[in-house]
Amino acid sequence: MTLWLLPLLPFIAGATIATMGDRSRAWLGTLAIAVLGATLTLALLAAAQGWTATLIWSDTIRLSAEFMPISAAVAVMVPAVALAVTFHATQHEETRGLGRLTGLMILFTGAMELVVVANDLLTLLIGWELIGACSWALISHKWREIENPHSGLYAFVMTRFGDLGLFAAVMALFAATGSFDYAGIATLQGPLQWIVAYGILLSAASKAGQVPFAPWLFRAMAGPSSVSALLHAATLVGAGAYILARLQPSLTLAPGFGTTAIAVGLTTALVGGVVGVLQNHTKRLLAASTSAQLGFMFVAVGAGYPGIAALHLIVHATFKAPLFLSAGLAGSAIGSYRLDQMRLGRAMPFIAGLAALATVGLAGLPVTGGGWSKEEIVKAAEHAGFWLALAVMIGGGLSAAYATRFQLLAFGRSDENDCDREVSVPSWPETLGIAILAVMTLALTMLWFSPVADAAAATLGSSLPKGTALAFSLSLAFVATGVAGGVYLVRHYPALGALGAAAAASDWLGLPTLITVAVVRPVDALARAAAWADDHIIDAGPRGVATLGRRGSTLIAAADNQVVDQGIRWTAVFGDWLARVSDRFGEAVSDGIPEGTARLTGMIGHDLRRLQTGFSHHYYAYIIGGVFVVVAILAAGA
Amino acid sequence: MLTLAILTPMLGALALIILPSLSQSNARILAIGASGLSFLMLLIVWARFDTSVDAPAFQAFAEAAWIPSLGVAWRVGVDGMSLALSLMSGVLFIACISWPMENPTRPRAYYAWFLFLESVSLGLFLALDLLIFYVFFDLSLVGMFFLIGRWGHGDAERAALKFFIYTLAGSLAILLAIIGLVLSVDPITFDMRALIAAQPLAGMDLRGGLILLGFLVGFAVKAPLFPVHTWLPPAHVMAPGPVSAILAGVLLKMGTYGIVRIPFQMMRETFADYALPLAIVALASILWGAIVALGQTNLKRRIAYTSVNHMGYTVMGIAAAGALLTGAEGAREMALTGAVVEMVAHGLITGALFLIAGGFWARSETYDINAFGGLANVAPRLTVAAVIAAFASLGLPGLAGFVAEVQIFVGTFAVFPWIAAIGLLGILITAALFLRLLQQLFFGDLPKAREGFPDVSLAEGTVLGALLALVVLIGIYPRWLLDLIGSATSAIIGG
Repeated sequence: MTLWLLPLLPFIAGATIATMGDRSRAWLGTLAIAVLGATLTLALLAAAQGWTATLIWSDTIRLSAEFMPISAAVAVMVPAVALAVTFHATQHEETRGLGRLTGLMILFTGAMELVVVANDLLTLLIGWELIGACSWALISHKWREIENPHSGLYAFVMTRFGDLGLFAAVMALFAATGSFDYAGIATLQGPLQWIVAYGILLSAASKAGQVPFAPWLFRAMAGPSSVSALLHAATLVGAGAYILARLQPSLTLAPGFGTTAIAVGLTTALVGGVVGVLQNHTKRLLAASTSAQLGFMFVAVGAGYPGIAALHLIVHATFKAPLFLSAGLAGSAIGSYRLDQMRLGRAMPFIAGLAALATVGLAGLPVTGGGWSKEEIVKAAEHAGFWLALAVMIGGGLSAAYATRFQLLAFGRSDENDCDREVSVPSWPETLGIAILAVMTLALTMLWFSPVADAAAATLGSSLPKGTALAFSLSLAFVATGVAGGVYLVRHYPALGALGAAAAASDWLGLPTLITVAVVRPVDALARAAAWADDHIIDAGPRGVATLGRRGSTLIAAADNQVVDQGIRWTAVFGDWLARVSDRFGEAVSDGIPEGTARLTGMIGHDLRRLQTGFSHHYYAYIIGGVFVVVAILAAGA
Repeated sequence: MLTLAILTPMLGALALIILPSLSQSNARILAIGASGLSFLMLLIVWARFDTSVDAPAFQAFAEAAWIPSLGVAWRVGVDGMSLALSLMSGVLFIACISWPMENPTRPRAYYAWFLFLESVSLGLFLALDLLIFYVFFDLSLVGMFFLIGRWGHGDAERAALKFFIYTLAGSLAILLAIIGLVLSVDPITFDMRALIAAQPLAGMDLRGGLILLGFLVGFAVKAPLFPVHTWLPPAHVMAPGPVSAILAGVLLKMGTYGIVRIPFQMMRETFADYALPLAIVALASILWGAIVALGQTNLKRRIAYTSVNHMGYTVMGIAAAGALLTGAEGAREMALTGAVVEMVAHGLITGALFLIAGGFWARSETYDINAFGGLANVAPRLTVAAVIAAFASLGLPGLAGFVAEVQIFVGTFAVFPWIAAIGLLGILITAALFLRLLQQLFFGDLPKAREGFPDVSLAEGTVLGALLALVVLIGIYPRWLLDLIGSATSAIIGG
């Protein structure tokens, strides 16, 4: 069987569902389960049987797909998480446009599968840009409010800037090897190797919401919360970490690659952690945490443990998706995403409990899957140096702090009795999707059993790093401090980040404003200036020529009237005269010839007058005629 | 067969003029029939076309003596490049003739001029004689001049005149260059195949340079490239939608096709010497076209400037392909293939975009982007078509533009790495400008004045659907097209 089926099935099914229009929740939910369930089955089958695929475009361009251990694991995770998230979407999101939303989410999953199965940079680029376009459509989903398409545009253009890195990598790889296969990356040398490695890193960083591209993730929050869950857990964002993990063995050959990846990841993990702690917007807090968690994965790749990065990616997907979904329920319950106004623990206790299962993973508490993979990253960082491990621990402490804040503020129990609050309680189908994901999260606690962990690492074709007990206990101390700090903040500053300096800093420390002022506005101004210049300066040359031409033609026309017209008139007069003369002496010479000559000259005179008719196609015919004459003369001479 | 493909629309045009009492719908049916018949003949040529390596470069060749002493003859024939372009032109002409008239006055004359233009456009791509090529090149101006001037709106006559004079000036440069080129062979001939084989100007520095300059200036005006592009926006704005689609889809390709066929193929050494400056001009067109398009508030002007940007990609690929005489064959072939695919893809995509823009004028008599908004409320099918066309134009994978652009960039990078790298910025700016366009037209609040904005009719929907289906097909499975074009480009690169 061809591996193309894996992306193609959800792609075609999704496009069909999107065009069918809105149907009932039950109908769309069944469809979503059927299609994504089939995709999941296909992924398992393909992974078990080692399917491959190629598509020939031309002699030099061959698209190919193949499974590596890491890609197989991610290829299974993506439809599994997407299944729960999309089902939730069909039960929870607004009914207007629900068919389109469901279809696009399924299609998005297919595009992500293409990224996962790609075995050459061109196929990767195709999937890479398609997931960007899908994210545009999904973020813009509620297009009646112009802010949403605007955010979609922001996200697409920002990530496409990163895509240029992948474009550059594609160009350089082909220039060096004459093919797009991943296999060629390891053989590169010199500047081309540099372009490929850092081009891929650039596009990975932009998709994964790393600094300085992180702000687009906040804008992406304009989409429905199911969309946020999908693109933060299963698809778009994960693609950045996935591709680094997938290509790490080849990329790491480029000088300085590991260090740069660590620097980018660590910066984002720390800044994102601070931003997350300061945020008062439920979904933005989670978005900042996504950037930070993806930062951990970058650190793991840079430290030389791509398998760990992939494991954290999978674990992260299972706890981040339910968090977004429950945040969406909380947001629609109170009609806003302000953390300081939620405290929905009493109103929706079951959801609060499910969210707590995910939150402890985000916080990185021991015994949770999230805690396990984060500790593995600490160990991996330790191999690269103790200070690096310490920095990751600080990032872990920050995760614990914002996770605690999220859980207590969103799903804590308020002190005052809030029975008078009108809160819509989620229906059981809405809860089901979150429950499935929570069960997946729970299942991943098994990773703390070392046989399971070793088996998981072996499946991914990598080994687990060895860490010291000292670092482990230190890391746990940071987590504990983070939890305590989170509790302290909730107690004493429940409205942190709602107003003032904290609110300003919580928007990526002002980075979006910097981008607007330094990039967006200058480009817009340049575009307006260029448009003006094009009309007024560049067109001035031809216009000047035209004006000159008009003046010149007026002069020539005047001369024309006086000289050429005279000439024609004289010719006609001459013709008439000739005719008269012929007429007079005709009988003496001959009858026919002068008669004919006279008529001919008369006709010439008449035709010459018609020359002045002003029909451009006549002139045109004369130009062509003249050209023939010129050519003939030249040819005769040559 | 090719001669018939050229003559059929011309006969159709004559029939339209001669038959006096033809209703508009009958005139349209006759025009569709004539262009369909012509397209059918091209399909037959395609079916018989041999893409194998040892096949002759030009096939379906036919010759009829005309002026033997000058080596001028009616010569027609196709290689993979010209066949692909004439097939695309055939599709686009059928589409534009089927599209409802924007300004339904004098329908017989309108359809007659359309068929006339189709005949000369096909003639240009199919001709293998320089003089015939030149005659068709100029006749295309005449057809376009009348279509814009008589059926356009606003200050159409002035725009048409500007278009005519500007491009005529360019074609005079071409004429001088043709004379110079032809006079350097002995015995004198206008046979393109003979000129390609002879490479008459090899080793002549100054003379070769001047003749090359003549060709490049002329074709750059037609393409158009920065800075000789300013005739394009007014011509588009004043022209009816279907005429704009032909202008962008077919007439602009004459410039880029001409560059490949004449200076590139007939004077390889000289072309290679001047390929770098040409690539720089192309880069300027890419960036300038994109940034100026971003600054436009007029729908048609915005699309028009993206044509400057896309023709910039095409010429960049052509310049890279011709920059070397030997070496990097794989990459140069890819660049040239990409350039030809871009011509085809741009024809279909921008054709669709201009038809959509024409639909906007027909419904509301304005192109001001800010006068619209929220149209997805009332015209969902139009929205879907516009979204697909816009994403195709910004080079999204899975659609035709990507297949072209990725090959152009990959191929160019091997020859001019910096130019290709800087040119990538064009992709980013077009993404921003098209998404902003979609946002302003279709999303947000629906203005009161647009509440009755009708969605696409059946005829419009069928035409757009057919064009966009081709765009998707080329985007996903382009092998049939790449094999056809590749048979020509590998022969051109291989010399």
